[in-house]
Amino acid sequence: MRKADIVIALFFMVIGFVLLFDAVRLGFQWGVTGPESGLFPFYLGLGLVVCSLLTLRTIYAKYKKDGYDKLLMPKGALKPILWVLIPSVGMVVITEFVGLHIAAGIFLGFYMRSVGKIGWGTTLMVSFLVPLSLYIAFDKLFLVPLPQGLWGGILIPF
Amino acid sequence: MLADLNNLAMGLGIALEPYNLMIACIGLILGIIVGVLPGLGGANGVAILIPVVVVMPATTGVILLSSIYWGALYGGSITSILFNIPGEPWSVATTFDGYPMARKGRAGFALVLSFMSHAVGAIVGVLILTFLAPLIAEIALKFGPAEIFSVMMLTFSAFVGLGGKSPVKTVAAILFGFSLAAVGMDIVSGQLRMTFGSVTLMGGFNFIVAVIGLFGLGEIFLTVEEGLKVEGIVGRVRMRDIVDGFKELLLYPKTLFMGAIIGCWMGVTPGGATPASFMAYGFAKESSKNSKEFGQGASAGIIAPEAAAHGAGTSATLPMITLGIPGSPTMAVIMGGLMIFGLTPGPMLFKEHADFVWGLIASCWVGNFIGFFMVMAFAPLFAAVLKVRFAILMPAIIYVCAIGAYAVNNRMIDVYYMLVFGVLGYLFKKLDYPIAPMVLALVLGNMAEQAMRQALIMGQGSPLIFFQPPIALPIMLVALFIFFWPVISGWKDKLLGKKKA
Repeated sequence: MRKADIVIALFFMVIGFVLLFDAVRLGFQWGVTGPESGLFPFYLGLGLVVCSLLTLRTIYAKYKKDGYDKLLMPKGALKPILWVLIPSVGMVVITEFVGLHIAAGIFLGFYMRSVGKIGWGTTLMVSFLVPLSLYIAFDKLFLVPLPQGLWGGILIPF
Repeated sequence: MLADLNNLAMGLGIALEPYNLMIACIGLILGIIVGVLPGLGGANGVAILIPVVVVMPATTGVILLSSIYWGALYGGSITSILFNIPGEPWSVATTFDGYPMARKGRAGFALVLSFMSHAVGAIVGVLILTFLAPLIAEIALKFGPAEIFSVMMLTFSAFVGLGGKSPVKTVAAILFGFSLAAVGMDIVSGQLRMTFGSVTLMGGFNFIVAVIGLFGLGEIFLTVEEGLKVEGIVGRVRMRDIVDGFKELLLYPKTLFMGAIIGCWMGVTPGGATPASFMAYGFAKESSKNSKEFGQGASAGIIAPEAAAHGAGTSATLPMITLGIPGSPTMAVIMGGLMIFGLTPGPMLFKEHADFVWGLIASCWVGNFIGFFMVMAFAPLFAAVLKVRFAILMPAIIYVCAIGAYAVNNRMIDVYYMLVFGVLGYLFKKLDYPIAPMVLALVLGNMAEQAMRQALIMGQGSPLIFFQPPIALPIMLVALFIFFWPVISGWKDKLLGKKKA
């Protein structure tokens, strides 16, 4: 937990410095027409750096006192989380090629089969019917176009 | 007062049109389902449907969005009581006493208590909305940039001073939200900021995408980590439960109204429903004579947080339509919907779009009323949604989240952002960085910056303009006081020689 805490604090500090850097480029003082573009980001960046320093100090003081470190996540929790995260990323990447609905169908089927250990019949039915009904609802009824990917337009001809 | 009632009647006419009524019912059903499902909350439930409402007239669209919110407020408590799974963050406090009570075989009774408390919270919230909103809008018409900025300071100070999380981390979260909002084109000068030559970054970060990632995916990761176990209790609401529940409610008038008032306070200031429910629970426990019963199925332990959650939810509408500052993350998303319709939330809304405003207020009455009967009658039916295997629900929820994230701007990059925000949301939750103020900062970023810069121009560069009487000064002083409250209360304890418990 301490490591993650430090990482996030440093992450904020980096963002703070990025803001400061860009604010200096834009100018953060009083310009011809009033405050320059960088004024607001400048103070945001400054604030973020100060906050992350304060957080780091708190982390240091706390762990020096307690000595031990709580776990960020309970033992064995990382696996199920990765089992969600990696296939989700996979779905998004596949979307680039075949469009969201087909990618989601694959994702549904994969997750139900491999993690849920659900029978083939149900798996195939759900991973076909859910994308189909959402396709009809969004693309056809509400006319909200969803990503087709490279070949999605060819794969769903109707 | 009389004029308000007239306006309300006009609004009721709009809200009760058959089409709007039907949409409200659909919204409520969707909302209750969203409320029941963990990982799909009010904020991202509304966010996903934003692209859909564009095809509707403005009033109908916003009725749909807000009905989802009311439904989700009701729905969250069903699973808290029956399954010990809070469907929503604001119903976590309900699990403390609701589930133990249900295990004692009084599930129906617990449900009735919770729904009735919801109804009372809603009534108090909507009353405040109906009669205070026109007044505040009238005052807010006189606000200049300095005043608007000071109100925003008050908003964010409330998160820092009263949010209950680490103040430094809260400030960091707020600043992070503001920073994300600043990416892209500077609306005043037209210069590009923080884009580093990237065309993708020019589009900036849309807060709806952030909401879907932070609340949707982040919540799913948390649920998966805890390992969702559905051990349901069969709960039916019988006639006797309703009578008993009503009688029981009358025994706790103080708890009920304190809960509702705390809720409304947190809705307006803003904090949102989640901290309100915890605060009310803590308050009820402290003020109760037999606080030992809490955690084992005390009625007051259900009444207080539920009334507070719903009070906060409904009264969060007030600052949104009068000042353009949403009182809770879900309201922020609804405000996003408003802006898509070309309506600028704020005091002018009352003048320019009175029919819309009063239609919305009236739909708060109607929606919460129908919602109450819906959950009373069909609570077990909605609870049955959770009987679907989690391995089916979870990928389907992520799928729907991806649809919502993409449809906001029709940009594929937003779906990737959603994934990143999901991981961030999980880490933030774990490390005690509050998400709600971050989302609000992302929503209000441009407005806050614009107000600040305009005020500075008016003050010719002197920050003293923010302390200009008669309106900005007191607001700013209160904001500073609340901001430094964690420090001040520390001094107070020291002075009085109190030891920290």
